[in-house]
Amino acid sequence: MGLLAAALAVGLGALGAGIGNGLIVSKTVEGIARQPEARGVLQTTMFIGVALVEALPIIAVVIAFIVMNR
Amino acid sequence: MENLRQIHNRQKRALFFLLALLALGWGFSPWPTVFAGLILGVLFGLYNFWILTRRMERFDRNLAEGKKAPSLGSGLRFASGIAAAAIAVSLPETFNLIATVIGLMIPYLFLLAERIISQLKHPDPGGKER
Repeated sequence: MGLLAAALAVGLGALGAGIGNGLIVSKTVEGIARQPEARGVLQTTMFIGVALVEALPIIAVVIAFIVMNR
Repeated sequence: MENLRQIHNRQKRALFFLLALLALGWGFSPWPTVFAGLILGVLFGLYNFWILTRRMERFDRNLAEGKKAPSLGSGLRFASGIAAAAIAVSLPETFNLIATVIGLMIPYLFLLAERIISQLKHPDPGGKER
């Protein structure tokens, strides 16, 4: 049961992060292609977005690890 | 808006200040395991941030040169989170596990708070046009 819980936590967390990161990166690349002069601002926004999106899956992975080692 | 390096440097400065306070707590408070766990978590969180900044810069450089975009290094950050938890799990008499997980998330909270404060202080002039 612990393994299933860990798998669900990691899988769903990674799914959400994958979709979120994909959206962020695709929109940033699109924005840079449209307005190359706004690259710095877009890059900074992308950095913050990616960092915040990845916080939750990291927690999910850590929780999965803790559950597996219990 | 500041560039990536400036944000990273400000974060680093704030986190080193926090680490100094946590080291004081570890040395002089009656809860050394909690503070040790927080220090461990913050160090790994700082490492995560450093990886993210480096990868973002490489991503931007490759995009500008028209090369293939590299990965953003999510796997490496997940692995460093697991490494922090593994150290805390294997040495429970030294590191508090919950404090380690909280410490891992402190840089993210710092980033969020810093960006909100920065946005309130210097509102984006181009924001209304979008």
